This record gives sequence, structure tokens and C-alpha cells, in this order.
Amino acid sequence: MSEIQRPAPGSAPGSAPGPASGPRGSLGVLAALDRRWIYLAMALAVAIPMLAPVRLPIVISKEVEAFHREIEALAPGDQVLFSFDYEPDVMAELDPMTEAILDRLFAKGIQVIAMTNYAGGVGIGQARLEAAARRHGKTYGTDYVFLGYNPDWSGTMLRLGESIKATFPVDQFGRPTAEIPLLATCDAYRDIELLVSIAGSQLSEFWAAYAGARYGQRMVSGNTAIQAIFIYPFYQSGQIKGFLGGLKGAAEYETLIERPAFGVRGMGSQSAGHLLIVALVIAGNVGYFLMRRKGLLQGNRLRAVERKGRS
Amino acid sequence: MIQRTLPIAFAIVFGVFMLAQYFVPHPWVARGYNTVLDWKQIVFGCTLTLGVFSLLRFHGRKLLRRDPGALFSGVALVSCIATVLAGIFFGIEGGPYRWLFERVQAPMQATLFSMLAFFVASASYRAFRARSAHATILLVAGCIVMLGRVPAGDILGFDAGGARYSLAGIASWILDIPNLAAKRGILIGVGLGMISTSLRIILGVERAYLGQSRSGGGGS
Amino acid sequence: MRRPYNPLMLVRPGSRRHVLLMAAAILLAAAPRATGEEAAADTTAAAARRWFATERLPTFVPLVLFASLVGGFILAARGGRNLFVRRIAGLDAIDEAIGRATEMGRPILFSPGLDEMDQPATVAAINILGQIAEKSASYDHRVSVLNRDPIVMSVAQDVVRSGYLRAGRPDLFREEDVFYVTYSQFGYAAGVAGFMVRTRPAANFFLGHFYAESLVMAETGQATGAIQIAGTDSDAQLPFFITACDYTLIGEELYAASVYLAREPLLLGSLKAQDMAKLLVIIFILLGVAAGFLGVNMDFWAAASGAGG
Repeated sequence: MSEIQRPAPGSAPGSAPGPASGPRGSLGVLAALDRRWIYLAMALAVAIPMLAPVRLPIVISKEVEAFHREIEALAPGDQVLFSFDYEPDVMAELDPMTEAILDRLFAKGIQVIAMTNYAGGVGIGQARLEAAARRHGKTYGTDYVFLGYNPDWSGTMLRLGESIKATFPVDQFGRPTAEIPLLATCDAYRDIELLVSIAGSQLSEFWAAYAGARYGQRMVSGNTAIQAIFIYPFYQSGQIKGFLGGLKGAAEYETLIERPAFGVRGMGSQSAGHLLIVALVIAGNVGYFLMRRKGLLQGNRLRAVERKGRS
Repeated sequence: MIQRTLPIAFAIVFGVFMLAQYFVPHPWVARGYNTVLDWKQIVFGCTLTLGVFSLLRFHGRKLLRRDPGALFSGVALVSCIATVLAGIFFGIEGGPYRWLFERVQAPMQATLFSMLAFFVASASYRAFRARSAHATILLVAGCIVMLGRVPAGDILGFDAGGARYSLAGIASWILDIPNLAAKRGILIGVGLGMISTSLRIILGVERAYLGQSRSGGGGS
Repeated sequence: MRRPYNPLMLVRPGSRRHVLLMAAAILLAAAPRATGEEAAADTTAAAARRWFATERLPTFVPLVLFASLVGGFILAARGGRNLFVRRIAGLDAIDEAIGRATEMGRPILFSPGLDEMDQPATVAAINILGQIAEKSASYDHRVSVLNRDPIVMSVAQDVVRSGYLRAGRPDLFREEDVFYVTYSQFGYAAGVAGFMVRTRPAANFFLGHFYAESLVMAETGQATGAIQIAGTDSDAQLPFFITACDYTLIGEELYAASVYLAREPLLLGSLKAQDMAKLLVIIFILLGVAAGFLGVNMDFWAAASGAGG
């Protein structure tokens, strides 16, 4: 259970009590920095490395290496089910890995069957597929297909194990899937070599449960950094063969396939942002402990006498 | 009577069937399973229309009554209808529909999500205090993982005996061992909770989905 | 008035048996039949006509065991046996929060999370909502419920209406108090944040399953000075709720809280069964660790569970 931190009505703990009433000088600044300064610092920490890129060394982690091995094990002509399980909100974090993976798949001559479990994923999937196809001269219907969006995600995951054409009678553009050449010999998980789920939610875990556990579908995933933490148990047990975690995962994969792009470029901003947060945590704790030593704190709140301006 | 009993009967019959079909690979059962999945897709599609009508009704009522914030309700309604009409008349592969998605919806959603960076920074500064031994361990582990997940963590380290010791390595250990153990424990607990709730729904014990709350010691 | 003729004269129209027979009839009617080529294919696939997937035995046995535990404890609870559930501290704060909102004359906000109605966290949240609605109605105060899912909204409307009715204040219910915001994740967060900034609720309840938007809502609520009580089984969001909220129900405390409030013997029984199952899992884990140290070969289990179970 969390500690009680009941704010007085209209105020919040940690906000600046005001120059007339709070502790003076640097101690006051450390203890109660206005959150707007924090917002400004974060904005600068992220923006400056974007404008003046810093190239940082990228060390490859074992889960990204495993992901890479799975992709490299595919042979030309193999079919991959690619699920765009994210919406524009996490586009900045997941698009770099999506573009890198699609480029690698098309470069290897892999056939891509794409779909999405989010309504907002339709625009993303369509745009990324078309861009990658243009870069590699791929033809719709023969080299890749976009099945589109189905509102019932759990039913879709299960139904794909029985029949892709029954699950998606038409593709995103209204063309009957029975007429698409790529799907002529591919109609269920048993015909698909690898499932790639790019997700900003728990959908990768559900793919592992529905497609992996029930139908034995081999899969890898790409996830936001916070979601990647939950993929570790699935990776360790072998249910997910490899995964990319967040923008760093994208940067590592771009490094592996020798295609540095936004993932690598974004490492400067991400490093600066993380360093700022650690610095803020340290500063907040230093201020907190100094205030406690000076007897200015009762529990975790300023004493009433201090709030009245007497030090 | 019908309003209460029929949904419960459906929940029991279809719940038991879907549970049983996982263990029965017989083609007859497989066909029934596929039929249920087809119907599930149809029903799910219908629930989306329920959401749209609810949205239109709520904002339309606010607009007609000229309640506070009615202007924003008007914006919501106009945006919703305009997007639908753009898709119907100009198609969804390009034109205004795609423009609205790429130039309006996508930047707005990404902007809202990006606010999290500021909120996390503010919350970290304000609330992450080393008040106790547990809090200190949490704080230190959090800082190590935060630094270890960026290239800065690879840089902050030293070489010894032919091996590289860095914050990234420590972060990796934290994620692989204690984090994984805790996540697995939580997964098991939540999984058992989900099975328990699902069994209650299948057995007709849990009726919250019918709007029958069980508060006040009675149950209905 | 004569009743309409009912060919199913064996059952009374509208009775439970009638309803179950109708459901079974619909199921049979909807079941596809094998004809022609399908029938021929069935004949040739005789090896697939198994009535039990033996490779899924490692899943079946624990499931039967757990279901037996649930059934056993439910029977014990029905038989009047007293099943202890520890006091959940965060629930005491609910009364305090509702009282504070009433004194200040400011709204109460409830968010049942972002998941659908079939998820256990949402079910637990809705159960607690009923309690909150009844308590606030007894103080002559209303609850605003902001929903992301239209079905959850419908259920929440019924639950709030029932809560007000139990408190003897059905007149308090307004449909516009329990409304649908949007299905979009951050659109919902923006809607909740905007509601908090405009109406400045005195008490915020975030109970259910949440995702990345949790910190946006919790921080905004914290800045408006509301007392905040959160509960979620989404452990990625727990750190954010713990830092921004006054009380947080962690993980399964949310499920336990809904059972604790209801005090329904059947729900208590299932909660005890969950605890017992967790104990069994711990025992098996320890046995597995011991077997690993002793070098005992556990491959039979891996072989049984590896083939699609």
C-alpha cells in the first residue's frame, strides 16, 4: 500500500511554496522546484540532441540477437505474418523497428502478410508497407498483402489458426482474399514460418498464448520499452523467440543489419532524457535529506511553522 | 425473468463449450468452434456501433442544451461526421480521409503520449524518495535500469579480466533475474484470478456484466 | 386471458428449463453439418477424430484441480463456513473520500479502467462502483463515471442506478453522469483530465485495468488537489499510481476488494480457492527447484507440455 500523501485542497506536494513562505536559497530550490522548470529541462534534453545529433556506441543485447537470428533463418519465399498492433500514440517508439524489420524482410525476399488489431493501426500499416514496398520494388498481392483491421482481436488470433481467408474474406482494399496469389498456398498458422507482432500493448503476450500455445506458431515481437519488461518471461520460456525493446531495441537491430536510421539517431535524446530523470531523482532526494537534517520536515511535509515563512 | 436468465444461460452454454473444445480436437467440435468464432466477430462489430451512437447522443445532447463545453462537443461531432463522410465519398486509401489521419489524428495522439515524458520527470522528482530501505533499493534499481537501457549505460563501466562490467550489464541482470521472477509471480497470480473470474461467469455466479452489482452483502 | 399455444407443453413458458432448452436448440441449429465432400474428408481423417487431446493433459489436470478447489470452497461457503479475508486498507479510505467530496460540495470521479467487461479487473471495479454509488447516494451526492468502453458504460449505468436505489435515492440518477468518452486510449485520458480540470472533483477513483495513460490522469488529478484511490492489476502502471495517488490497491487486492465489499459467500469461496491454488503452485515450484538441485530428470513434463499444450 502507498503512504498517505494527502494534499491540501488546491495544492500539491512538491510544488514551490513561494519565496515568501518556503526555505531560502539553494536548499529551497532543491526541495521544491516548480514543475514547469522540470518540463522545460525535459524539452531541452530531448530537443537539443535531435537538432545536434550525437552518435553513441550501441551494444547488442541477447534478446535482439535472438530476434535477428530468427529473421535471418528465414529463406526467400517464406511467409511471415506481420501484425501492426499499435496506434499513432506510440508511433515514435515503434516505427523505427517496424521500418527496419520490413526493410530486412523485403530485402531477403520474404512474403509479408500484414494485419492490425487496432483501428488506428490501419493508416500506419498501410503507409509503412507502401513505403517499404516502394524502396524494394515489391508488388501488392504477390510479395505482400495487407489484410486490414478486425475489431475482435482474440477471435481473430484464434480464427487465423483455422483459416486466414475465413477470418479476412476481403483485404483492406476490398479485394477477395481467395483471389490474392500470395494467399493461394497460405491459409493458416501452419503455413506461416514466423509471426512478428509489433505492439504497444499486451497483444504480443496474447499472440503467444493464442497463436503460440494453442497452434504452435513461432513468433518474435517488437514492443515499447515499458511493455518489453513483460516479454522477458515469455522469452525466457521460449514462447517468444526474440524481441526488440523500445527505441534502443530498434537502434540495436538497425546496427545489426547495418541500416542506421531513426533508432540510432534517437539514442542521444533518450540518453539525455534518462540522465535528466536520474539527476532529478538525486536532486529531489538530496534536498529531501538536507531538509530532514535541518528539521524542516515532519514526515514528508513542511512543518506548519515553515509554511508561514519562519525558518 | 427472460432478461436475466437468458444471458446467464448463454454464458453457461457457450462458456462450457469453448472450455471443452480446447481439449476435444474432434472435427465436429472444431466446426462448432469455428461457428462460434464467426458469430463472435459479428457481435464484436456491432458493439462498435453502440459506442458511436453513445458518443453522438452524448455530445448531441450537450450541444442542443447549450451546456458548458458545448462548443467542444460540436467540434467532436463535426470531426466524427467529417471523417466518416471523407472515407465514404473519397475512399480510405488516400484523399481527405488519409490526410485527416496523418495530419490530424496521428500528431494529436503522439503529442498526448509524449506528455508522459514530462509527467514522469515531474513525478520522479516529486515522489521518488528514499524514505525506507525498500524505497532506497527500488530507487537505486530504477536508476540503474534507466541508465542501463540507453547507450549511456554501456559507456558507464570498466573492463576487467577481459570482460566488460557496465551499468547496462547490471541492468540486464536486474531485468533477467529479479524482474523476471516477480513478473512471473504476478502473471501466475493474475492468471489464476482470470481463471477464477471466468469460472464464476461460466457457472453463472458472477453477474456484474448484467449490471447486477454484488455490493452491500447481498448480491442480486 | 388464454395463454398462447406452446408446442413445448412439457415446460412452462418463461421457466428456467424453457430458457435452457431454447439456448440448446439455438446451439444445435447453428451447428454446421458435414455434407458431401466434408463427410468424405472426415472418413479419411479418422486419426484426427480424437475425443481428447492427450498432449494438453498438463493443462487439463491443473484446470480440473483448480475448478475443484473453486467448487469445494464455494460449497463450504454456502454451507456457512466462515472464510477469512484480511482487511484491505484502501477500502477504508473510500468512505473518507466520499465524505470529503460531500463536505466540499465537489464531484466524485470514477474511472473503471480501459478494458472490456469480460476482464476480471473491470468486473471487480464495477462491483466496487456499486458500493461507492450507494455510499455517495446516502450522503446525497452523485458519482460521475467516465467510460472508455460502451458496454462497460451500459453496465455502469445499471450499477449506479441500483446503488442509488439501495440507498433510497433513485431520484439522484442522471444518465449524463455515467457517460462514454471515447475508445481512443489517450483521447480518453484527455477527456478525463479535462473533466478533472473543469469540475475539480474532490475524490478520484481509478479502479480497473489501465495502460500508459494512467500517469496523465493521476498527475492531473493530483494537481487539482483531489484525494485519489487507485487499484489495478496492471503492474506496469502501479508505480505511477503509487506515486500520484493516496491509496493504491495492488494487483489482486483489487479482486479481493470487490469480494470483501460484497461479502458474498460464493465470491469469498472463489477467492480462497485462488489462494489455495497459489499455495500449490509455490509447492510445485519448490519441488521443481529441489529436483533441479538433485538432478532428477523432469523431461517427461516438458515432453508432455511441448506438443501444443
